[in-house]
Amino acid sequence: MSYKQASYDEPFIGELRSGTTYKIPGKVDPGVLEDLPEGTRREYLPLPEVAEYDVVRHFTRLSQMNYSVDLGMYPLGSCTMKFNPKFADRISTFEGFSEIHPLQPEKSVQGSLRIMYELQEYLKDLSDMDAITLQPLAGAHGEYTGILIIRKYHEDRGELDSRTEIIIPDSAHGTNPASAAMGGFDVVEIPSNEKGTVDLEALKAALSEKTAAFMITNPNTLGIFEDQITEIAKLVHEAGALLYYDGANFNAIMGVTSPGLMGFDIVHFNLHKTFATPHGGGGPGSGPVAVKAHLKDFLPVPTVAKDGGRYFLDFSHPKSIGRISSYYGSFNMMLRAWSYITYHGADGLKENTVNAVLNANYLAKKLEGKFKIPYKPLKKHELVLSTENTGKRALDLAKYLIDNGIHAPTVYFPLIVHEAMMIEPTETVSKADLDQYAEVLLKGLEAGDGELKGMPKNLAVGRIDEVRAARELKVRWNLE
Amino acid sequence: MSVNQEHKEMLNFLQIKDKAELFSDVPQNVRKKNMKMNPGISEFELLEEARNYSLMNKGPGMINFLGNGLYDRVIPTSVDSLIGRTEFLTSYTPYQAEMSQGVLQSLFEYQSLMCQLTGMDVTNSSMYDGYTALGEAVRMAYRINEKSEVLLPETIYNGKLEVIKSYLAGLHVKLLFYKVNMKTGHIDLGDIQSKVNDNTCAILCEQPNGLGIIDENVFSLHELKKNALLIAYVDPISLGILREPGSYGADIVIAEGQQLGIHRSFGGPLLGILSFKNDHIRRSPGRIIGQSVDSNGKRAFVMTLQTREQHIRREKAMSNICTNQALMAIAAASYLSIVGADGLKKVATLTYQNAKNLKIALEKSGKLTPNQLSGKPFSDVLASFAAPIDGLQDKLYEKGILGGVPLSRFLSHGKGETIPNSFFFSATEKTQEHDISGLVSALEVIS
Repeated sequence: MSYKQASYDEPFIGELRSGTTYKIPGKVDPGVLEDLPEGTRREYLPLPEVAEYDVVRHFTRLSQMNYSVDLGMYPLGSCTMKFNPKFADRISTFEGFSEIHPLQPEKSVQGSLRIMYELQEYLKDLSDMDAITLQPLAGAHGEYTGILIIRKYHEDRGELDSRTEIIIPDSAHGTNPASAAMGGFDVVEIPSNEKGTVDLEALKAALSEKTAAFMITNPNTLGIFEDQITEIAKLVHEAGALLYYDGANFNAIMGVTSPGLMGFDIVHFNLHKTFATPHGGGGPGSGPVAVKAHLKDFLPVPTVAKDGGRYFLDFSHPKSIGRISSYYGSFNMMLRAWSYITYHGADGLKENTVNAVLNANYLAKKLEGKFKIPYKPLKKHELVLSTENTGKRALDLAKYLIDNGIHAPTVYFPLIVHEAMMIEPTETVSKADLDQYAEVLLKGLEAGDGELKGMPKNLAVGRIDEVRAARELKVRWNLE
Repeated sequence: MSVNQEHKEMLNFLQIKDKAELFSDVPQNVRKKNMKMNPGISEFELLEEARNYSLMNKGPGMINFLGNGLYDRVIPTSVDSLIGRTEFLTSYTPYQAEMSQGVLQSLFEYQSLMCQLTGMDVTNSSMYDGYTALGEAVRMAYRINEKSEVLLPETIYNGKLEVIKSYLAGLHVKLLFYKVNMKTGHIDLGDIQSKVNDNTCAILCEQPNGLGIIDENVFSLHELKKNALLIAYVDPISLGILREPGSYGADIVIAEGQQLGIHRSFGGPLLGILSFKNDHIRRSPGRIIGQSVDSNGKRAFVMTLQTREQHIRREKAMSNICTNQALMAIAAASYLSIVGADGLKKVATLTYQNAKNLKIALEKSGKLTPNQLSGKPFSDVLASFAAPIDGLQDKLYEKGILGGVPLSRFLSHGKGETIPNSFFFSATEKTQEHDISGLVSALEVIS
């Protein structure tokens, strides 16, 4: 494969000296700052003085040194990097959406509130949950919101002091234990069984009157469906605990089953995964949280409600956990998710899920035999392989992939698989993409170790010294 | 379910007849039977429907005095163009650094620019928004000194207070309130001094403060903070003319970055700016981009100090934050680069000037009491009316004006006295003389 990423010796924007050209409108009255209270004025403001054309060229050149979904397959496991539809980009720039202040009178924001209300209904429909907040700003923020709801639920029942533990499988996303710990809970980790699913005996042993909740994702991070989910829900509920659904893998089951049907009490969604809102190089995201009816009163305020034809912000939840962010959530991301769901509809969303699962299973079978693919053969949206049997390191193979112009999978996660590669193709790749991916990955096995260590060669930079970055800690420029 | 030629080949390869077999592991009792939502529609129909919804909103083109954290500011077209580059827009967190140098260098530049703006040593590569960044800052302060009392101004907005409380769940931290002089609008240094003790974890100050006032008392806080940390919540535009927090001893600085080139979009996505002193870097939350070199010695960037983060440290991580606001950080970096030092100074100066003129015009209108705050507003002008006005915001809206949010909407948590019949009107560099005269004429006929 012949591939070269753009590679510029791009200076820092602070090093360019072409002089500011941008015009700020308005006329400053001479001496207007003279009456500022004494000692409040800034003496020196070190900011770039660069022509607008130079700023545009600078960041455009930088952008060319960045891979993205619009360039090709981006199969990071658990990240659901699917095609981000362009209609959503366009809709998000409609002035009636982008130029609206959150403190405007309710009657002036009926369009936005209607979008939010309809998105609430969509997500409830897809998840079979009863009530929802759109306020959380990312998946982990949704998890923390869920943890606060768990606290409030047990507090309301007078059991918060005794229910101090949250159980989490060893295959869980790192955010799960981090969110639980942030909310003041002790984390109890349980091992997976030989099928790669929750070990029921281990769960039974861990559950007690100290358990506040059990957090899992289904399918789990191994891409395997937890087929004993009904039994799990029963055990958790019998112990007086709540069952939390990490929605990072929702793309695997949408329209086929749902967290509500599986017996979950709390769910978070990742609009930037399942519902194709662009991830922007790391964010913004959006992480709505849905609950069953018995937890409705604990949701953060406000939610969006409807009275006849009028939509309004509802602050009336009597036992609410309160507020968790500045306003009502990331509206622009909600708008994009609303667009995605409206466009695909009930039929299209399910078809997307089915095709995502087809793609993951196809790729798994293509790679089977060459790599060890532990646990059950039937996958959902992603597959986890180990490179251990090949004698190659997952990191080196990842660099081989990127050197060939396609993005690597998530590596070294989940932690329970050695030399793991976690591959999530999503529905928006073709068979040809998958064939090529498998071909390149297998070809990487033939490369010598020395050759692999020297990769990447075709990208903006070669292999980066991460240890040095942590040791020297240069986290800002020094232009003196 | 559509089965195209490629799918047929894939099914054959998998030796299955029907895609339904891929879900044989999903038990019958949890299978989804039906959905309420409609089938999909075409892009053309979707754009029509979305446009109709957008037209149900009103606001663009109206006279606008809404602020209190988010503002209608001049956004260079180039900012939208740059963050619309799909290489930025449709990429993930830069886990494969060699393939993601564009995002990494842009975020490194964001970190550097924010350090220059705030006068601090380190800025992380972004938090969700101002309030959540403040919540994380209080947690961070607690991690640093493990002391139990946090001092907040009694004029802190409800929203900020509630978010701080949400972020403190599970920690044994007590929130105490210090007084603000309701005549001048300045924080009460004597009251703070009386409340600072060996258990004080942090003191929060705001610049401008919750009443919108440029508060020179903030600059003296470092003299009486003892061993507590000083957390400054600042308006990033104001730093074009007001002293940077690094110059008055702040340990942690928080700002809402929406004003730096980001559309208001009904409140999101926003940008949480978190800056701090070098000493605290290992106790800080969120992603940090570091500079290193590649195998050829060329400058290169990676995410660094990841051992603080959730994907490595799990329950021992500094925070659970994973996804942040990277694209908004790139917007802010391009905004500051385009407007430059002179541009930011002009934006800040015009804001101050327009707020001053707005305040004078309101005072002359004859509708206000003679006792207005004596402190000077930066952008949010608090106007105390001589008589109560019910539903002022709605009444102004009927006259084509946005603004007039009551102070009680922000300060209903019952801490301290409040100022009766007070409403906010906010100015920016876009505020025109005729906007102000339009507001004054509208107020003449409202009671």
